[in-house]
Amino acid sequence: MKKINAWIQNFIEVSSSDPDDQRRRRNLNIIILGMAVLLIIQIPISLFNLNNIDPQDNLFIGLASIFMLLSMTGIYWLNRVKEGNLSSYIFLAVVMLVVSFSDTPEQIANGRSLFVFMIPIVMASLILQAYSTFIFAAVSSVIIGIVATSINQSPNVTAMLSYFLIALISWMSSSGLQSALKDLRTINADLDQIVIERTNELADALTRERIESGRNQAILNSIADGVIVFDKQHVATLANPALSELTEIPVQTLQGISLDNFVQVKSIPQKSQQSIKDLIQKSEHSEINPRVEWGDKVLSASVADVHDSKTQETIGSVAVFRDITQETQIEKMKDNFVAVVSHELRTPLNAIMGHAEILQEGVHGPLNEKQLSVTQRVMVNVSRLLSMVGDLLNEAQIRAGKLSVKPEIIQTASLLENLRVAMDKAVTDKGLELITTIGNDMPEELIGDAQRLQQILINLTGNALKFTEIGSIAVSLNRVDDEHWKIEVKDTGVGIAENELPFVFEAFRQANNLEFTTRQYGGIGLGLSIVKQLVELMNGEIQVTSGIGKGSTFTVVLPLLKEMKGA
Amino acid sequence: MIENLALLIEDDEDLSDIFSNALQAAGYHVEAILDGKVAQERLTQVVPKIILLDMHLPHVNGADLLKQIHANDKLKNSRIIITTADNVQAEFYRNMATIVLVKPISFAQLRDLTARFLTI
Repeated sequence: MKKINAWIQNFIEVSSSDPDDQRRRRNLNIIILGMAVLLIIQIPISLFNLNNIDPQDNLFIGLASIFMLLSMTGIYWLNRVKEGNLSSYIFLAVVMLVVSFSDTPEQIANGRSLFVFMIPIVMASLILQAYSTFIFAAVSSVIIGIVATSINQSPNVTAMLSYFLIALISWMSSSGLQSALKDLRTINADLDQIVIERTNELADALTRERIESGRNQAILNSIADGVIVFDKQHVATLANPALSELTEIPVQTLQGISLDNFVQVKSIPQKSQQSIKDLIQKSEHSEINPRVEWGDKVLSASVADVHDSKTQETIGSVAVFRDITQETQIEKMKDNFVAVVSHELRTPLNAIMGHAEILQEGVHGPLNEKQLSVTQRVMVNVSRLLSMVGDLLNEAQIRAGKLSVKPEIIQTASLLENLRVAMDKAVTDKGLELITTIGNDMPEELIGDAQRLQQILINLTGNALKFTEIGSIAVSLNRVDDEHWKIEVKDTGVGIAENELPFVFEAFRQANNLEFTTRQYGGIGLGLSIVKQLVELMNGEIQVTSGIGKGSTFTVVLPLLKEMKGA
Repeated sequence: MIENLALLIEDDEDLSDIFSNALQAAGYHVEAILDGKVAQERLTQVVPKIILLDMHLPHVNGADLLKQIHANDKLKNSRIIITTADNVQAEFYRNMATIVLVKPISFAQLRDLTARFLTI
């Protein structure tokens, strides 16, 4: 059924630039099709006398039908290939011809065939312009007039008038239909125009968007650092190829990955997983720039909030990962190098010290005053060298994580007593005063690493001594609160400029011009750096307040351990 | 048998010399050994009052010598002084010796310390 329908549609279809022309020619095809079917049925009936009419008549009808069928085929072909009215006029002319000769002149002039002439008039309204109905009304009138005259009858004026009446009705309905269709087409065209405009606008907007996002994507793609954007629910909305390369996770997997899956997709250490999660979830435990181990790489991570450009509302966070494997290796090599070198330096220095001591102690016989003085100078200088090398080694050990804190029970008073033993002479030699006090609320016993605490005290006092020419150095131990105690080292020295304060705990750095201070004050600038690292190792904090000419105060706040861990 | 014998096992010649002087100054008769293997043999022959043992030695290391000393019943009254430059190692050996000294060790420190052992 569908196939037949499709065939019919295909049969009647014509192509034309004018939709009205197309409609009319399609109507013609429909009529031709209908007539062809009728003719194909009629031809065998007539030729084989299947009806009971005069065989003479049947032959005539049969031949006329064949002529009609052939004409229809020709007109159909013409209608298919040629635009315009020609085929329709020919068709109607043939119809007129057939109508004119299909009956007796009497019947045509004044009888039943008068009605048949209405057919081409009505058809004209379907397959030609509306006005053509009048043409065929006129032609029909002329024909019946001529025929009537030829048989000496008066023309049937009533029939002629009725032709024109039918032509008028057909013309009205046809032109009504035509203008309605025209309106419809105009509306359609307007609609089409609107759709086209909207489509173009949309395409433009999309193109702009694509260019914009393409540019952003291009920027993102060319960043060497790995970038991943998480929304508020910690689901990745964006990741660049560098991150994929860095993490060895395919870009498709990164797209839409949850934070939990992101840290677990490669088996990275638990600690690194936690660091990343803390960082992105903005946990208070989070370090600012945590280093994370990722396979055989070391990455440095940082995070920033993403704000909506209009509402300023936080809509997620962007995390940036940088490969610092090489830097880490170099750092490690440097630390190892420093550790090895300082250890190797220490051995001969200790030997020099020992030998000098043997001389000083008179093991090989007593020394005269000059010899003793020289020996003592050797010892003083070697001990300075030894302390520098010791600092270097300490620094390297702390950095390599090899230095640990061993808590034990220590007498609070002994910390300051030992400090006095170590520093009294140097302080007195410089004409300064060392004041040590213990707050009343300090417990008599502390839990901590005696050696490291001692080192903190000595380094801070040594530092104060180095930068103080007149006055005193005050070292005090005090309780802060239930859970903390503090060491305070206050001097009356040169002080530190405000802009230098942030750097005083950096390794190999002294406030002021490095070269200048190193010459003036000696040392290699590791003392405070070591103190800071030791303090951090003990979960404490160190602060400094100072100003040029106002002296400096270093405050170390440490947790007050109540009992030995693991003891 | 030599009275107040101090067996000094230290591969660094300078340190050996300095320690030797310190021990002599403290009143010991010192026998200095620079090699672990020699020390291993010597420890089966003598009963020193003090054994000064460096943990880092060629051929046979200090840890093995320490085991040998603990296994030898004759040496149970000998005082063992371990010398090491390593803080962590020092902690580790604390219970296996009379005393663990972390290098650098000064002449005076060793002399005064070992002199006290003679009087006790």
